[in-house]
Amino acid sequence: MFAPGYMTILDPFAPEAQDVVRSAPPLDSMPQEIVERAVNRVKWKSPKEMMVDANPSAIQNEILSFYLMCQGTAAVSYPYSREVRLVTDATRETIKYRMYELFKRGYEDLCLDVVGHSFKFVQLEHDGGVKLKNIEIPREDYFKLRDRRLAENGIEIVDDRALPQYVPKYAVRWTDLALLMRYRRVDLTKLYVVHGWVVITPRELWEIFANFIGVKTEEYIASLYERFSESGVPSKLLDSVGQRISALIPPEAELRERLRRVPIGKLRPEFFPPCVKKALGGVGTGVRNYAIAVLLTSFLSYARVSPSGKVATRMADFISDISIVHEEIAPLILEAAEHCNPPLFKDQPQEKANVYYHLGFGMTLEPRLEDSGKSKWYRTPNCSKIQISAPPLCEPDDFCRSRNIKNPLTYYYKRLAEQARPHTGD
Amino acid sequence: MQFRETTAEERKCFYLEEWNKKDLPDFILHTLSLREFGFDYGEGPSHRYNQFMTVEQLSDFLKNRAPCAAYASVALYEQPSMRKGWLKSELVFDVDAKDLPLKTCGCSGGAVCEKCLDEARQIAAMFAETLRSDLDLRNINFVYSGRGFHIRVNDDAVMTMEQTERTQIVEYVTGSIVPTDMTIALGYSQVFRDRIAKTFDRLNEQKLIEMGMRKALVEQLIIEKEKVIAMMRRGKLQDLQNFSGMGEKTFGQLVDYLMKLNSALTDGKVTIDTKRILRLPSSLHSGVSMKCVLVRDIEHFSIESAIPKFMREGK
Repeated sequence: MFAPGYMTILDPFAPEAQDVVRSAPPLDSMPQEIVERAVNRVKWKSPKEMMVDANPSAIQNEILSFYLMCQGTAAVSYPYSREVRLVTDATRETIKYRMYELFKRGYEDLCLDVVGHSFKFVQLEHDGGVKLKNIEIPREDYFKLRDRRLAENGIEIVDDRALPQYVPKYAVRWTDLALLMRYRRVDLTKLYVVHGWVVITPRELWEIFANFIGVKTEEYIASLYERFSESGVPSKLLDSVGQRISALIPPEAELRERLRRVPIGKLRPEFFPPCVKKALGGVGTGVRNYAIAVLLTSFLSYARVSPSGKVATRMADFISDISIVHEEIAPLILEAAEHCNPPLFKDQPQEKANVYYHLGFGMTLEPRLEDSGKSKWYRTPNCSKIQISAPPLCEPDDFCRSRNIKNPLTYYYKRLAEQARPHTGD
Repeated sequence: MQFRETTAEERKCFYLEEWNKKDLPDFILHTLSLREFGFDYGEGPSHRYNQFMTVEQLSDFLKNRAPCAAYASVALYEQPSMRKGWLKSELVFDVDAKDLPLKTCGCSGGAVCEKCLDEARQIAAMFAETLRSDLDLRNINFVYSGRGFHIRVNDDAVMTMEQTERTQIVEYVTGSIVPTDMTIALGYSQVFRDRIAKTFDRLNEQKLIEMGMRKALVEQLIIEKEKVIAMMRRGKLQDLQNFSGMGEKTFGQLVDYLMKLNSALTDGKVTIDTKRILRLPSSLHSGVSMKCVLVRDIEHFSIESAIPKFMREGK
């Protein structure tokens, strides 16, 4: 039978997995085997790579490599970046395959036990007809749902061994799918909902659960990004793992084709968070310096450059043309400063140099690319810091509240991602 | 029934003599201190960020100020007076008689009459049936708002849902998305078929011509309306597409038109707005001189129950 904790290979967010993480070795003494696994996870293709042996050591390696992969990704990129997409897609495919494989090997109960921790579900009964908790499911619907699933997978002829995957067998509560609805991974009008239950096939169960873990992975990386914004990236190991994962991103054109992603490039002010919009409109004394030199400077530069692939310490690692600073970032900051009451640079001209200092070019008024790295490129402060340092700037809108935003950049990336996401289920 | 504006004196009289805290529904009473209250003194609901710790405080306020309108948030907050610490929000649907896409009465502009109010009531009842039978929601309340009806769902499972989920619920309940398979007996397919059939039933010749349909086809559809509706209810849309003179393009236009009308049955913005304020049940709608009241039986709702004393007495 399986070792205790084997279920964590399906749900890395289960409490048992958290226990393993708590007893993990320090990052600087992480075994190389785990480090390699963390990087390689995103390119797994074969069953041998995706499956995990049922022994404690293999399970521990699996969990720690998952967390190392997420933390490395958060260290070198930003929420909804290409790296995050790569990691979440790979995680989703891995979980889906494992569910499939375990079902095939006859361990359906183990899978259902794991699913049961996140979704309330029941099995359909076959008692002279198909019943869902005493509700009769019309036979025609039952077969239409099966045929729809077969058609979606392009299958015309199916053998007896594969057929059960496509036959409605379970039902989950539609309200348990709220997170997947939020991320448009399922669409309510495409589900077969009867008395609050969504009738699904085993294959749909694997997909729903794998998508659920994928979305939780995405949210976990976003939370790490916010944590690193506050305290800095904790280790060179994470930087290295993140860089190696970043290097595995498929070429841009292919990726655009395959994945929906956040468009990088020109700033999109319509998606800026309320604090940044307020700062751009100019603010009064007391919060001027913070709004301009700290918030706007860091936010606009990170939002524009979207540093990915390595820990962002120098802007020059991510741009090859200083005109991005001169023509796209600085004018917005200078204009906002002019809108302040009184205009910030009129009575505090030294603050202009401070802007470039926070962008990492040292104390200068004429930044050049080669100056990048002379000072620290400041990260965008978290909302909690803004609330303390400049309370009038923080007036959360619906999006801040509903998405539990903790950093202005996360707001921007989430808005961009949601705008780019088509309004249909996967 | 006569709808007219309330005078300041009538408002004062209403809140002093008729308004009773017992008319507040339990779902408001039990969460009173967690809701944001808003008031209108004649310039729109601009007085917001109010919190009442007890129903007596609210009562004193209403009796003293006699506002043109009183509102409470659908959201519960840790700090309602700052609109901070969002906890959850009711799932609400606003079916406004004045905004119905197809009115069979002669009302125009912002006017309402008993006929279009009854149409709004039927739509609210239909939505609630879908919320119950398909989505298994149980804590469903109806409120007559003065110019229409509010459906207010207080099931915990939906109250924590955000805008995207609520958008999908509106699409489901109104039938404003084409289903993957129109012929499936239960689930969304059934909802969709029912909605387009009902909407088509209310279309007249003029609307179909405005849609861009040829006159000969329109006349034929109107003659065979019952047959067309039956096709829609049974999901035989292929038969409808083959209807003499219809064709694929016109059929697509008709379905799009019906979906558009379905989506206008309720104001989707209200449903997805998790910090919306809605008219407070028990308060007075001064625009029409009607009480905003909790409706215990939507099938047998009588507007009589919403008429304030001053209107009854013909003052």
